[in-house]
Amino acid sequence: MVIPQQLPLNIRLRDDTSFATCYPGDNGLAIQSLQSLARGEGEQQLLLWGGAGMGKTHLLQAACHLAGEQGQPALYLPLLEIRDYGVGILEGTEQLGLICLDDIHLVAGDAAWEFALFDLINRQRQSGGRLVMTSNDNPRQLAIDLPDLVSRLLWGPVFQLKPLGDAAKIRALRLRAERRGLDLPDEVGQYLLRQYPRDLAYLMDMLEELDLASLTAKRRLTIPFIRSVLNQS
Amino acid sequence: MNANVWQQCVSKLQAELSDQQLNTWIRPLHAREENGTIQLFAPNRFVLDWVKQHYFEHIVTLAGSVSGNPDLHISLVIGNGDLSQAAPPKIDNHSSAVNLPTFQNNLNPNFTFSTFVEGKSNQLAKAAAIQVAENCGTAYNPLFIYGGVGLGKTHLMHAIGNQILTQKPDAKVVYLHSERFVADMIKALQHNAIDAFKSHYRSVDALLIDDIQFFAGKERSQEEFFHTFNALLESQQQVILTCDRYPKEVDGLEERLKSRFGWGLTIAIEPPELETRVAILQKKAEQAGIDLPSEVAFFVAQRLRSNVRELEGALRRVMANAQFTGQPITLDFAKEALRDLLALQDKLVTIDNIQKTVADYFKIRISDLLSARRSRSITRPRQIAMALSKDLTNHSLPEIGDAFGGRDHTTVLHACRKVAELRESDQQIDMDYTNLHRTLST
Repeated sequence: MVIPQQLPLNIRLRDDTSFATCYPGDNGLAIQSLQSLARGEGEQQLLLWGGAGMGKTHLLQAACHLAGEQGQPALYLPLLEIRDYGVGILEGTEQLGLICLDDIHLVAGDAAWEFALFDLINRQRQSGGRLVMTSNDNPRQLAIDLPDLVSRLLWGPVFQLKPLGDAAKIRALRLRAERRGLDLPDEVGQYLLRQYPRDLAYLMDMLEELDLASLTAKRRLTIPFIRSVLNQS
Repeated sequence: MNANVWQQCVSKLQAELSDQQLNTWIRPLHAREENGTIQLFAPNRFVLDWVKQHYFEHIVTLAGSVSGNPDLHISLVIGNGDLSQAAPPKIDNHSSAVNLPTFQNNLNPNFTFSTFVEGKSNQLAKAAAIQVAENCGTAYNPLFIYGGVGLGKTHLMHAIGNQILTQKPDAKVVYLHSERFVADMIKALQHNAIDAFKSHYRSVDALLIDDIQFFAGKERSQEEFFHTFNALLESQQQVILTCDRYPKEVDGLEERLKSRFGWGLTIAIEPPELETRVAILQKKAEQAGIDLPSEVAFFVAQRLRSNVRELEGALRRVMANAQFTGQPITLDFAKEALRDLLALQDKLVTIDNIQKTVADYFKIRISDLLSARRSRSITRPRQIAMALSKDLTNHSLPEIGDAFGGRDHTTVLHACRKVAELRESDQQIDMDYTNLHRTLST
């Protein structure tokens, strides 16, 4: 029998990337430093590094939200998206209170971009603005040719983001699910971690897919339901 | 026209947009309202494109409605409306995007001689800098300071500028990075404002240009700089330059410039020796009101040898940890805080790598780990390797099972549980596991 599907209205709350929705795990210090910077109280510059799925993007966006709440104009710039615009997009950004540059490793080895970042850090220092950067690796190990840039990346505190353990990943998933009004039983979280890549970003995307599927099919998240949804996709 | 049309638009947008949208895209815009038009200045092309695509049409409608003039002309350009109003009157609206550095506003007040830590590596440079500051334009002109990155060239340069201002508060001291000089010159050329550019730079009492190695290969900028440089020297205005190497060694720099750079005094800053690095750390800690035990200062200074900027970053990390944990700064505390920075790259841990390391450790073959053999001398290492794969990689359990000779994910799950149990009951296994974990992850 074919069960007619109800199409969901596109009114699902987009997960707000705030510090409240961020599960700190072992990264409490990095997060506190970042919050303090975004409030305009702490460091002028921070660099956070770690592999994919550690929540770097989430943290940068949360910092922008927080700065915005304090009346500080903030700009989130993901290098993946903006590098094709050319380096001109960094011009004049030191007039803003906070710049968050995501994934700076993507431009390592690109002379024009390396220089533009170097120049931005200089301007930011001079204007008193704040700057947060992320990379996928220790900044001392990035394949950056411009030594002037490397030394400037290390000017402020550098934090390695630590991955969450499996139990913490389940708690983070449950926290996110709760905010969507979705019940994610523990055994379902464990099932996801047993069966699929345990990269948190991947799991969060999967959660989004499951949320949509559960809305459409009006079903709770059970293991058989999840299996049918994920097998289809 | 109502002079506050833009403010009214912002108020209305405030009710419609999230704080994030408002702060990121709308507040960075500067507005200039005159002659029945509104010119909006975006800080860069990215913001401009975004605003154009997402908000501009709505802004036009809003402005038409609040001003009562549906034909109100609104334009959106790149630039800074506020600064441009201070630009010389002969620069028209479009060339107002050339924001020449204003006098006396771009020195870092914290970079003074008293905050500069002197050691063998930099005492000559400091002495020369003091001479120049006290005899502006007449002692050594130009003063050319060279040395590697992060050794304090910029600090010394600002210290001279600040000292000149202390002695003569109305002096026109301009500091800028060579790249800004180039960028300003290009904008001035594009906007037919090169005369304003020239007269601006030639009217200063002291011109401080950082990192002139970035002039390399930029012939037009070198040409312009050459003339500015000559004009300043002729009228005994001070020029101070920094570079990452000796002027003759900069490739792509005209010979005549290299030779002129040598007319005054060329002085090197060497990397600071250990004692100076320790003193720098203690000075910076003192400025931050932090008590830094000398053993910690020595530890950091021994590990970070070549660069003052890195020293500062490391100290800031230690201070941040202390601030947020409330713990005192001890040697162990500092080691822990700097692990992220000092540890070499975390090795990329792969299942292959784990299998090889575990096989070496237990002196068995990798093929044994992947085989169907069930003798305990093979199954224990295999289970440990599976548990390590789960702990140290993001692979799913089915993937881990596959990588171990096509086993089922339940076998992996069983291995992980078994290893956890054995670690509780068998000290040797716990030690083996801990050793392997450490070898693989550090």
